[in-house]
Amino acid sequence: MNRAGNSKKRPPPSTTLPAGKHRATGATPSPSPIVGTLEDEFVDEDVFADEVDEESLILRDMEEREALSARSSTWARPPLSPAYLANSQSIIFQQLEIDYVIKEVHKELLPGSSGQAAVIRIFGVTREGHSVCCFVHGFEPYFYIACPPGMGPDDISRFHQSLEGRMRESNKNANVPKFVRCIEMVQKKSIMYYQQQKSQTFLKITVALPTMVASCRGILDRGIQIDGLGMKSFQTYESNIVFALRFMVDRDIVGGNWIEVPAGKYKKDARTLSYCQLEFHCLYSDLISHAPEGEYSKMAPFRVLSFDIECAGRKGHFPEAKHDPVIQIANLVTLQGEDQPFIRNVMTLNSCAPIVGVDVMSFETERKVLLAWKDFVRDVDPDIIIGYNICKFDLPYLIERAAALGIEEFPLLGRVKNSRVRMRDSTFSSRQQGTRESKETTIEGRFQFDLFQAIHRDHKLSSYSLNSVSAHFLSEQKEDVHHSIITDLQNGNAETRRRLAVYCLKDAYLPQRLLDKLMCIYNYVEMARVTGVPISFLLARGQSIKVLSQLLRKAKQKNMVLPNAKQGSEQGTFEGATVLEARTGFYEKPIATLDFASLYPSIMMAYNLCYCTLVTPEDVRKLNLPPEHINKTPSGETFVKQSLQKGILPEILEELISARKRAKADLKEAKDPLEKAVLDGRQLALKISANSVYGFTGATIGQLPCLEISSSVTSYGRQMIEQTKKFVEDKFTTLGGYEYNAEVIYGDTDSVMVQFGVPDVEAAMTLGKEAADYISGTFIKPIKLEFEKVYFPYLLINKKRYAGLVWTNPQKFDKMDTKGIETVRRDNCLLVKNLVTESLHKILIDRDVPGAAEYVKNTISDLLMNRIDLSLLVITKGLTKTGDDYEVKSAHGELAERMRKRDAATAPNVGDRVPYVIIKAAKGAKAYERSEDPIYVLQNNIPIDPNYYLENQISKPLLRIFEPVLKNASSELLRGDHTRSISISTPSNSGIMRFAKKQLSCVGCKVPISTGTLCARCKGREAELYCKNVSQVSDLEELFGRLWTQCQECQGSLHQDVLCTSRDCPIFYRRMKAQKDMATAKQQLDRWSF
Amino acid sequence: MEIDSEKKTHERKQSDYTCLQDEGFEIQKEMYRGQQYSQIYFARLHLMRTLLYSLAPTWKPHLPVCKVLGLEEGKECIIVGTLFKHMKLKPCVLDEYSKERSVTPLVKPHNFMHPDDTLILEDESGRVKLGGSALSPPVYVTGVVVALHGKETSAGEFFVEDVLEAGLPPQIERPFNLKEDKYVLLVSGLSIGSSSSNPLLFQLLVDHITGHVSDDEELGLAAQIVHVVIAGNSVEFPRKLLTGQNMASKDQSTLYEPIKELDIMLNQIAAGVSVDIMPGLNDPANFALPQQPLNRCLFPGSAPYNTFRSCTNPHSFDVDNIRFLGTSGQNIDDLDKYSEAESKLDFVERTLMWRHLAPTAPNTLGCYPFTDRDPFLIETCPHVYFVGNQDKYDSRLVKGSEGQQVRLICIPKFCETGVAVAVNLRNLECHTRSFNIQL
Repeated sequence: MNRAGNSKKRPPPSTTLPAGKHRATGATPSPSPIVGTLEDEFVDEDVFADEVDEESLILRDMEEREALSARSSTWARPPLSPAYLANSQSIIFQQLEIDYVIKEVHKELLPGSSGQAAVIRIFGVTREGHSVCCFVHGFEPYFYIACPPGMGPDDISRFHQSLEGRMRESNKNANVPKFVRCIEMVQKKSIMYYQQQKSQTFLKITVALPTMVASCRGILDRGIQIDGLGMKSFQTYESNIVFALRFMVDRDIVGGNWIEVPAGKYKKDARTLSYCQLEFHCLYSDLISHAPEGEYSKMAPFRVLSFDIECAGRKGHFPEAKHDPVIQIANLVTLQGEDQPFIRNVMTLNSCAPIVGVDVMSFETERKVLLAWKDFVRDVDPDIIIGYNICKFDLPYLIERAAALGIEEFPLLGRVKNSRVRMRDSTFSSRQQGTRESKETTIEGRFQFDLFQAIHRDHKLSSYSLNSVSAHFLSEQKEDVHHSIITDLQNGNAETRRRLAVYCLKDAYLPQRLLDKLMCIYNYVEMARVTGVPISFLLARGQSIKVLSQLLRKAKQKNMVLPNAKQGSEQGTFEGATVLEARTGFYEKPIATLDFASLYPSIMMAYNLCYCTLVTPEDVRKLNLPPEHINKTPSGETFVKQSLQKGILPEILEELISARKRAKADLKEAKDPLEKAVLDGRQLALKISANSVYGFTGATIGQLPCLEISSSVTSYGRQMIEQTKKFVEDKFTTLGGYEYNAEVIYGDTDSVMVQFGVPDVEAAMTLGKEAADYISGTFIKPIKLEFEKVYFPYLLINKKRYAGLVWTNPQKFDKMDTKGIETVRRDNCLLVKNLVTESLHKILIDRDVPGAAEYVKNTISDLLMNRIDLSLLVITKGLTKTGDDYEVKSAHGELAERMRKRDAATAPNVGDRVPYVIIKAAKGAKAYERSEDPIYVLQNNIPIDPNYYLENQISKPLLRIFEPVLKNASSELLRGDHTRSISISTPSNSGIMRFAKKQLSCVGCKVPISTGTLCARCKGREAELYCKNVSQVSDLEELFGRLWTQCQECQGSLHQDVLCTSRDCPIFYRRMKAQKDMATAKQQLDRWSF
Repeated sequence: MEIDSEKKTHERKQSDYTCLQDEGFEIQKEMYRGQQYSQIYFARLHLMRTLLYSLAPTWKPHLPVCKVLGLEEGKECIIVGTLFKHMKLKPCVLDEYSKERSVTPLVKPHNFMHPDDTLILEDESGRVKLGGSALSPPVYVTGVVVALHGKETSAGEFFVEDVLEAGLPPQIERPFNLKEDKYVLLVSGLSIGSSSSNPLLFQLLVDHITGHVSDDEELGLAAQIVHVVIAGNSVEFPRKLLTGQNMASKDQSTLYEPIKELDIMLNQIAAGVSVDIMPGLNDPANFALPQQPLNRCLFPGSAPYNTFRSCTNPHSFDVDNIRFLGTSGQNIDDLDKYSEAESKLDFVERTLMWRHLAPTAPNTLGCYPFTDRDPFLIETCPHVYFVGNQDKYDSRLVKGSEGQQVRLICIPKFCETGVAVAVNLRNLECHTRSFNIQL
């Protein structure tokens, strides 16, 4: 069966068929239609004993198993050393995932207790690469409530009883002897509002299981009858903290750090629960958490599995797990910190020709493919599973497919024995990200890292297809095989399936390369270490949990507790950042930019803004605080100064900022590239964390919103910007002894643009520095105004839109900087982007405004004369629902419907991006009726609508740029002489053309002629006209060659035809057009061979 | 033609001229029907592999011959395939779309070599990365077909121990009965219309060929010229005029003037001796190789002569059974961009050893997408192999193991050097004829 695939690794048996052209036609089943294969398989299931010679089957099975066991040995992790086996060594490991399970109490570790308990489970890897599963016992969930006045230690037992009673009612089927384990009185302080007293009494309520925290909180929220006190409801504290995070906070464990369990403190059970090499139990008090410093800042050799699957869809449908088989799975396994994968393999349905350097495993049935993958995952035991869009597509597809085929043992992919992979739909919504729907697949003990999610979260790109992402980050185009071709390749022979396998492997390798290039592992682990949350939270949750984690840790040190936010209570809004009025125009004198360095964090530190320094309006009147100890913010809130109470948020921020300084200093010292990667990731994480603190206080549906803080921050920010403007314009005047009067032309959230009036960059820089130092001196530390750069020249279009050349040294400018100018929006066509960039380039760098205008005019003229490359006019939009579901008709939705009618197989499906161009149509036709498939337009010579592009696409962005620099920009650029001549191509398929007779025309003047090339009048101009014609052909030939050889290069093969249909690729349409133009140009040229 | 002079009458020597091989370079009937470049590589590999397979048993008799797919780790074998050179600095059409337009225009480097370049061998079944020092990346280019001896390493690379190139092709026997000196005059890069071209220089050349000279000795030399080849770049005209828009009449004449001038000169030459004109990079011809003959409508004056032939580039012909093969230089210039050698002649010699006129086509050199053949394969060894439009004159005689003798010639640009090259048909010796006025 899988002979073709294994011939490479095993000594070739005499029966092995040679690979290559002579396909294994006899031995491998001829590629039958997919349905047939499925039927075969079902037959196989029920009655194989009758059909197949059993002996040969067993023999084959053995052979197969041998091959697999040979592989297992290369796949497995390094064996344990004797010291580990004898339990004589402390286990030190880097943890990747912390969660909990409900289990019977461990009798040995916790003698005397019984029933169920929550056990913390930690997965990780040791320095030697052993996988670890650590069960931590004895940690119990708890939360606080404020002790009601009048309740003394004696009342607790009664309170306990009534709470226990209520809990029993609401948790009928829990198997625990006691719901509320204990209630103690503790001295704590609430984080909210400035309080003069040191502490107050809280009740710490410990419950049996983590889920009971919520039900207990519900009971207390609604109110409970307490003997002697009556009906009372309580504000709970720290009752919405995830159990694992609670544990980490209490044990000082941060995400991704190293944990040590000393020898003798752990116990191994005879019956293991997981596939990990080191599985043990310990008490929570015996864990030692190492801070990520020095030796412990390094990374363990995690195993990273990158995979991709291919499915054979039916014509015209996106693959669906219910119907369409999984035909290939490509896998790459890399050890963290190494640059090459150590396992490369691909599992294919039906035979597949070998691939150099890759272990090809072919199987007869889909069932075997899936099971082989399951075994592979178990043997390789990856710590991290990565891929592109695996969370939404690959993993759910595999699981649903296995369910459709009835393979029950397939979803055992986790590290825990007999635990099935769970899948559920999840929606993730955060202020920063918006709402996203996805599927959550839980594979216990393996951390899933979907590069699609990570890149979508961290980077703003115009398209997130793997192709354009890799083009962006790796500057490499990826071959894109349309899913309708995949089925054809699969139904071909071993060679075509090999083609597909190569493609599949590439798709599996790209996520790994992206991961390395973007240093995702380092950055995410460092972010987890800095903020203290488990790594999995970083992808699955928003920003606020990170701040909450830091807040909890700090509050714990200060003996403070956090109240539960009342969900969705006060939905107040507050005034945002200020933007100074922009004095639009084109500035040909240097403009200095003064920036506040991390403005919001500095304000919070400078004015000691925090939950615990905020004074309620009531207290302001009551407490009579001395004015020298309080700050009244411009928004009217009162905060106490450091002298009375140091805020927690400022303290967190100070630590983050000084840690970042340290990381940056270490980064300079560091020599080892891996260490550098860690430190760089850390300083980045610290920066992001510092900036997200402000957002946390303003998130109205967040964990602990406090609009008093956030509105105070922005009000201070506004004040500072205005103050800066005033200072600059007051000080730098001719009266003050300076050469010119300075002018603030624009100011945004944290920066101010100043025109000092001096003509040269160097002088502007000196003045900029002087101004920054002078103004910084007037602010409270650590608020600091920095001079960063000079813009020269500077084109200020309006608020939030500008462009300019950046100078950081007086000799040479660094780059061109643009903001808010349409260059990346993807519902614009490429032409807009080209025009805008080129015009800016001409205006700013070449300082040639007439030249820029000339360029724009030429391009517009080209557009009207139908000389523009079609690929520049393509607009793409994502198809989110089918045409009927769109309430308002849209250009791309309508087009998708029309394409489906033409050819269902290649029409775009929901989720695809639909590229289209706007074509000329009957007068009054709606825009959505005028959209057309670019390929169709190319093939049929359909005229595009230049006016649509002129008016709806290019006019606005262009005028925005040109209005400040050119008088009458609109009439000059859009309505000049150059717009007079228009050329429209004749469609080859329109109704009228079917009746038209084609006649030869003179090449020179288009006069109809009966024979030959030229009309009588043009005779004598042969040389000129021929030169013209041949130079067109020559240009096209050059382009044709460059485009098609580039596609060969991307595809990585010279001897095979290019199949790629990636519509994201900028040269796709050009390539198609070159091919077509070439054919017509050649025909035209042939007319000269008389 | 006869030239009367006081002392002696010089009679132009006669010779037989045939030009049959050019058929392969013509693409009249072929059309662009959506074919791709894979087919030309396939055809090339197919023919070259048959050849190399036949050589393998004598080269390394003990070794088995494998395909890329059949490689087994550690097993020594011979594989045959097309080389692909992965180049870091190779310009790429996608660069036009890169995010940032670079502020300073890149200085165009003389060539695109980089120490990190690697070679890959590919056949229709797959590709494998090549390692080892036997095969040096600076020497080879994409598109060359070779046989390699080596083995697959554990890293999936093929460690090369030895290389076999196809070597000189068989040669038709050279006639030894030639008793008199007869010359074929090769000239290239006239660049009429360019700023550096000197009309006087060109007139001197024409006068020399046609025998309008006073010096008797020179006249004798002139009479020995039996054939003239103009190897590309004969005119130069401003391409920016050809934008597709209608031209002003002034522009029409700037465009047409150089061609008219060329026509007049050719007219004079063709009246006296047979002349072949090949298209070059700057000529009004198509871009992709093989370049098709310059259209006769460009030469209303010379076209009627049967001694005037407009030919393809590359061009191959026989004079007195001496086989000539040559190009206007694009193939060698492209090799110069993507590989290294001490002199241009080395590139010329390499293409002969690889038995392929233009291995970098279609990869970096424009070429027509042939479907069933690769016209650039050199199946018969020429006696004279010339390359036009080079910076300086150079020549060498290469001898093959089977007695083949080939004269390799770099023809310099005439407009810059004033040098034409004369090849003696009797003994394949060659020398320059300089028309530099300063001398």
